[in-house]
Amino acid sequence: MSDQVLTSTANCAGYTCLAFARDGSRIYTGGSDSLVRIWKTDLGTDEEPDLSVDAAEGITTLAVGKDIWLSGSADNLVRQYAKGETQDPITITSAKAVPIRCVAVDPKSQRVAVTSDEMEVKVISLEDTTDMKVLSGHRKAVRRVTWHPSGSLMTTCGADGRIIVWNMSGDEPKEEKVIEGVIPEVSDPESPEFSHDCSAIWHTSGLHFFVATKGHEIVTISRNTWTKASTYSDDAATGAITSLAMSRNGLYLASATKGGIFIWSTQNRRMLFRFNGALNAMVTQLAFSPSQNMLAWTDVDGVLTRWPNPIPATAPDPVTITNASASATVPVKRAATPTLFDKDEDAKINADVDLDDDMGIDLDNDDWILDDLGDGMIDDEKKWSGKDGIREMVSVTKAQPAFQPGSTPMENKKRYLAYNMVGVIEVTDQDTHHIVNVEFHDRSARKSYHFTDHFKYDLASLGERGALYACQPENDHPAHVMYKPYGLWASQGEWTYELPKGTKVLGIAAGGPPPTKSLRMQSDADIQGNGNAVIATSDGELIFLTGGGVERCCLSLQGDYVSMVAGPEWVFIVHRDGSTTMDGSQNLTGRLIKFDDYCLLQKDTLPIAKGQTLKWIGISEEGAPVIYDSSGVLNALPRFRLPFAATWTRVLNTNALARREGKQESYWPVGVSGETFMCLILKGRQEHPEFPRPLIQELPLQLPFKRTETKDGQLEEHLARETMLLDIIRDGLGDELGTDEIARRELALDKEIIQLIQSACKADKLARAIDLVKLLHHTASFEMAIKVAQFYHLLGLREKIEALRDDREDGDDRLEKAREKRRDRERDFVPVAPPRQLAFTESSSSSMPKPFSDFRPPPMIHRPGLERAGPSGTNASTIPTAAKSTQQSIATSESTSSWDLDDSQFQDEEYVANPTPDGKRKRSEEREVTINTGAAESKRRAVGSEAAPQARANPFARKPGADTNARPNPFSSRPADTLMNQKSLHKSESFFTKVDAAEADKSKRPLKGKAKEKKESGGRQTTLFGLPPPAPPSISTTSSSDKKTPGPGRPKKKQPTPAPSVAEETQQSTVIDSQATEIIDTGDSQATEMDVNMGDETQRTEVVDGNEDEPIEWPESPAAGESGLPEVEVGA
Amino acid sequence: MALPVSLRTSVIPQELELVACEQLVEIVPLVAMERTAFISGAYGPLRPPSKCKVPIWMAANLKMKKKCHIVPPEWLNVEYLQDRLTRETTEPQFSEMPFRFAEIAKVLLDVASDDFQNSDRLRSLLKDIREARQAKSREGLSKLDHSDLNLPNLCAIEINEIRPFFVRAMGVLTQLTKDPAGQQMTY
Repeated sequence: MSDQVLTSTANCAGYTCLAFARDGSRIYTGGSDSLVRIWKTDLGTDEEPDLSVDAAEGITTLAVGKDIWLSGSADNLVRQYAKGETQDPITITSAKAVPIRCVAVDPKSQRVAVTSDEMEVKVISLEDTTDMKVLSGHRKAVRRVTWHPSGSLMTTCGADGRIIVWNMSGDEPKEEKVIEGVIPEVSDPESPEFSHDCSAIWHTSGLHFFVATKGHEIVTISRNTWTKASTYSDDAATGAITSLAMSRNGLYLASATKGGIFIWSTQNRRMLFRFNGALNAMVTQLAFSPSQNMLAWTDVDGVLTRWPNPIPATAPDPVTITNASASATVPVKRAATPTLFDKDEDAKINADVDLDDDMGIDLDNDDWILDDLGDGMIDDEKKWSGKDGIREMVSVTKAQPAFQPGSTPMENKKRYLAYNMVGVIEVTDQDTHHIVNVEFHDRSARKSYHFTDHFKYDLASLGERGALYACQPENDHPAHVMYKPYGLWASQGEWTYELPKGTKVLGIAAGGPPPTKSLRMQSDADIQGNGNAVIATSDGELIFLTGGGVERCCLSLQGDYVSMVAGPEWVFIVHRDGSTTMDGSQNLTGRLIKFDDYCLLQKDTLPIAKGQTLKWIGISEEGAPVIYDSSGVLNALPRFRLPFAATWTRVLNTNALARREGKQESYWPVGVSGETFMCLILKGRQEHPEFPRPLIQELPLQLPFKRTETKDGQLEEHLARETMLLDIIRDGLGDELGTDEIARRELALDKEIIQLIQSACKADKLARAIDLVKLLHHTASFEMAIKVAQFYHLLGLREKIEALRDDREDGDDRLEKAREKRRDRERDFVPVAPPRQLAFTESSSSSMPKPFSDFRPPPMIHRPGLERAGPSGTNASTIPTAAKSTQQSIATSESTSSWDLDDSQFQDEEYVANPTPDGKRKRSEEREVTINTGAAESKRRAVGSEAAPQARANPFARKPGADTNARPNPFSSRPADTLMNQKSLHKSESFFTKVDAAEADKSKRPLKGKAKEKKESGGRQTTLFGLPPPAPPSISTTSSSDKKTPGPGRPKKKQPTPAPSVAEETQQSTVIDSQATEIIDTGDSQATEMDVNMGDETQRTEVVDGNEDEPIEWPESPAAGESGLPEVEVGA
Repeated sequence: MALPVSLRTSVIPQELELVACEQLVEIVPLVAMERTAFISGAYGPLRPPSKCKVPIWMAANLKMKKKCHIVPPEWLNVEYLQDRLTRETTEPQFSEMPFRFAEIAKVLLDVASDDFQNSDRLRSLLKDIREARQAKSREGLSKLDHSDLNLPNLCAIEINEIRPFFVRAMGVLTQLTKDPAGQQMTY
C-alpha cells in the first residue's frame, strides 16, 4: 500500500462518524445526510461505496460487533445490520423522540449499550433484544459509552460532566464510580464542543482509560484509584481535543485537535508522530485500523481521510499484540519501554529511551521536540532505515521565533502590540485596515490616542518618550518604521523610516529617559530629546536612530534575532549565537548596547533551562534587564553597570508561589517595579491575555531562598533582595558617596541584620553572628550588635564585633571605599553612570515644597501666655527650629562620649541652674515619674541601666530614615527635616574623624543658654526607647565627673579610641546610671563604686532572666508613657 | 441638638456611609501623584500602573474624574456573595460579612459599576442578602428581652436600623422586669 493519504468525501458536511469493521476490512461512515457508506479498505479512493439509506435523520453513531454493525441516528432508532450489508436492518431500540448519541458493542459482542439524549443508558442483549437493562445515574444526556476490554466495566460520559463507571459483571449493573470534574459539561447539542469526543478510551491492558479533559489535556485515569494518573501534553498539541483513538495493541494513542493529529506513545507518554497535512475541518472521529497500520478519520466536512502507515516501519506497528501492550502501565516502567523500537533492541536504544522517559516528566510544557516532528521522522528516513546497526535518536530543538515583548497574536480580530509599564497598544482588525488604540497607565503624563492604520503595523514598541511602529513589506510598499513621540503637536515630531524592498523588520524598540514633566502638554521639542529607536531587520542589521529621526549607527546582528527592549541608556538585545543545541537549549545570548557610543556594555548567555524558551524581556524600574522564561522563572541582571561583570540573578520562581497551589494559572509579565513583579494572571492554559484588558496584578519578588519558612530565612531573603536593589543604585552613584535614599534603606537593612544577629546569638551560632556583623552598613549599628552580644553574655563575640567595628572605623570609610572601587574599575572600563538630567530642566523646579507634600506637623504657634515657666534667659529658645534640634541630636549621638557630655551638661543645667519649684515644673513628666515612683524601682533601674548606654549607642536614634517608613501618622514627624539632615549623615562620619576643630568648637560652647536644646535632645532620646533616662540628681553629676574625667575636650578624642576603652566607657556609664538611681532610692551617696557595680550587675542579671530574652525591646517598648513625640517607632 | 427628633436616636445611613468612606480600598490610578497630605492622613504616592490603597472617599472622587479604576474588595464578587447568601438563607445565625459591607458596596457600585464584573448581579445579591438579614433581625424581635441582645456579625447599617426600636423596647422591658412595683404605680 502506498503511503499516500486517501481522502474521499463520504457524507455531506456535518457531524460524521466512523467505525472500522472488527476485521478491518471495511470502514463505515455515517453523517448528517442520514446515509451510511461502507468502504472497503483495500480499494482506493475511486471506489464507489455501498450505501445504507434506512435512517430518516442524520447518523450520530456507528458501532461494530462480531459480524454485525449498528447505527444510531437522530431519528431515535438504533438499527442493526449484518456485516457489510446495507439492507434489512433490525431495529434494536429507540429513544423517546430524542437522538441516539452513542452505541457501543461489548468486546464479546453480546450486549450493546445505547445512550441518547435521555438520561438513562440502555444495555441490550444482542441475542434477545427484549432483554434490556436501564442504567440511570446521569443528570443530563449521556454523550458517550465505552466498554472495558474485558466487558466487565462500562464507562459512560454525560453532558453533566460526569463519567460513570458501571460494573457490568453481575446480573444487575452497578454504579462503580462517578468521576466528576474531568470532562467538560456540554449540554447544548448544537455547540461545537458537543461533538468533541469525551469518551473514556480504555487501554487494551484494562488498567486505565484515557479521556480528554476540559483543560484540553489527555489524562489517564487509573482503574485502581479512579484518579488522574498521568497527563499527555505537548506544546504542539494544544487546543480542544476533538477525538481520541487507541491502537489495537495499545501501544499508540491518537488524538485530534484543531492543530493536527498526533500519535502518542502510551508507554512514555510522549508525542511521537504527527500528521503532516493540513486539517481543513474539525476531526469528529478517529480510528486505528484493527488489521493494518492505518489511521482513519472523519471531519465535519464529511470527508473520510485514511492515513496509511502512520507509524514508521522502524517503530513497532500498531496492530501486533506484544507483551508490551498488555503490560504498558501509566507510570512508565523500565521493563515496558524497550519495545517501543524493536523487540530485538540493543542496549543503546534502551538507554536512549530511558533518557526520554526521565525527561518526559518535566517537559510537559516545552517547545522542543526530540524525534516527534512528523517531518523530522519522514524526511530523515535514511536515519531510521539506512543504517541497520546503529539507530540514533536525533534531537531537533525548535528555534523559538523572534517576538516583540508584550505582544500577543491576533485573536478574534484583536491583539496587543505592546503591553508594558508605560501603556498598552491595542489593535483591532477591520479587514481593510487596523485601528490602533494607544492607552497609557499614567494618563497624567501622556495622552492616549488612536489612529487608523492602513499599513497594518504588526510590531510596536512603547517607549518612555514615543511609540515606534513597524509594518512588513506588502505588495507595493516596502517595510517601514514610524516613530510617534508623545507630547508634540499632531504629527510634528513624527517620522518614518523606509527599509529597502524585500527587507523585513524583525523587531523594534523605543527607549529613552523617563519624562521629567507631563507629556500631555503639547509643546516644542524637549531638551531631553525624544529618546532612541532601534530597528532589527532581516538583513541582519541593527539600526539606531535618535528620537528626532537622525540615523546614527548601523550594527550587524550576530546570529538570529530573537527580541529586544530599550531602556533609558541602552538597548537589550537577545539573539541566538549559531543555532539551538542538540540537547534542547535555545542558546540565547543577551547584549546590552549603549545608546551614547553604541558600545557593548554586557554580553552574557541567558540562563534558560534546556527545553525552555524565552517568554518575555523587559527592564525593571531601576533599569536592570529582566527576563522571564517558559518555566516561570524571572531573572534579573542587577549589576548591569559593571561592564561585562554582571550576573543573572533569580528573583522569582512563579512555580513556587503559594497562590499557585491548587490552581492552574500562568503569569504574563508586564514589568518589574522595585520589589514587585507586575503581571497579568492567566487562568488555565490560556497563553495570552484577552480583551477587555485584565487588571495588572502585583506579585512580590522573592529570591528562591530555601529556608523561607523561618523568620530568619525570610529576613535573609529580604536582606539579599534589598541589597540587590541597593547595588543597582550604588552602581549608578559615580563620584557621589551616597544619597539620602540609600542611607535610609541601609539603615532599615541594618535593623534587620541586628534582628538576625540577635536570633543567631540566641541560638549560640557565633559564626553566623560574625557573618552578619560583617554585613552591617553603618558603624553605629555595630554598637547595637555589641549590645546584643553583651546581653547574651557572649563576651568573645562582643570582642570580635568590637574588633570588626574598629577595623571598619580605622579603615577607609565604607562609602569612600565603594567609591574607590568604582574608580578602580573606571581605570579599565568606565562604569556607566546614569544619564545626567540637564540643568535646564532642573532649574524649573523650585525649592519650595509643594502644597500638599509637606508632612510636617503644623508650625507651633507662639503663645507667650501658655509658655512654660522658666528663667527668662532660656525662654528665648523655647521653639528651636526643627533643623537645629535634629542636627544637635545627630551631633550629640555621634559618639558615646559626647553623649555623656551632654548628659552632664544637662544635669548641670537642670539641677543647678533651676533649683526652684519652677525649675521642677520644667522637667518633662517622665522624668518626674522616674524620680518619684518607687514602686517599679528595681525594674526601672535595671532597664535604665540597660537602656541608657544603649540609647547612646543606638544607631537608629538619630538616623533620618528610621522613622519615615513605619510611621503611623505622617503628620506628626518631620521627614523634611530628616531629609535635610541626611546629607550630614555621611559627612558627619568624616566630619568627626577628620575635623577636630568643629567638635572642639561645639564642646566649647557655653553651657548657658543651651539648656533647652539639651533638654530637647534628651527628651528625644528618651522617647526613642520609651524609657526615661535615669534621672540624675545633683550628686550624680559629681560622681560622674569623678569617674569620667569630664571635660569638653574629651569626646573628640573618644571617637577613634580602640575597643577596650569604648567598652570601658560603656561600662562606666552603666555604673553611673545605676548609681544614680541607687542614690535616689537610698539616699546613700557614699556607696562605693564597687558595691554599686556589683549590685547593678546582679540586678541586671535578674532582670535579664525574667525578661524572656529580648535585649532590645523592639517595637513595643517605646510607646509606653510617651506622648507627642512620634519618633518612637524605631523597631517597627 | 438642632436635629429633628427622628434623627436624634440614631445616625442616618448617609452618615454611616461617610464613616465607611474612611476605609481603605485599592485602586489602580490613572494619574501620577506624589504622596499627599490630607486631614485624615497622607496617601499615595500614586504611580500607575501600581496599585495603591486610598480611602474610599478619595477613590470615589478620583473615579468620578476618571482618574482611577477601583479594585473590588475580595468580598465584593459574585461567588463570595452567592456563598454568603446561601449561608444566610440556610443557617440561623448571621453570616460573617465585613462590618460596613452595605455602605461600602453601595458607594463602590454607585461610582464604579464599570470596574465590577456583573455589577447588576452584585446589586441583586446584595439586596437579597440584606433582605435575608433583615428578616433575621425581625425574627430576633421575638427573642428580645430586657437585659442583653447578642447578635454576632450584625453589620453597622443593620445595627443602626434596629437601634431606635430595640433600645426603646429594651428600656420598656427593663422597666417591666426590674421594677414590677414601680410599673404598677405608673399605670
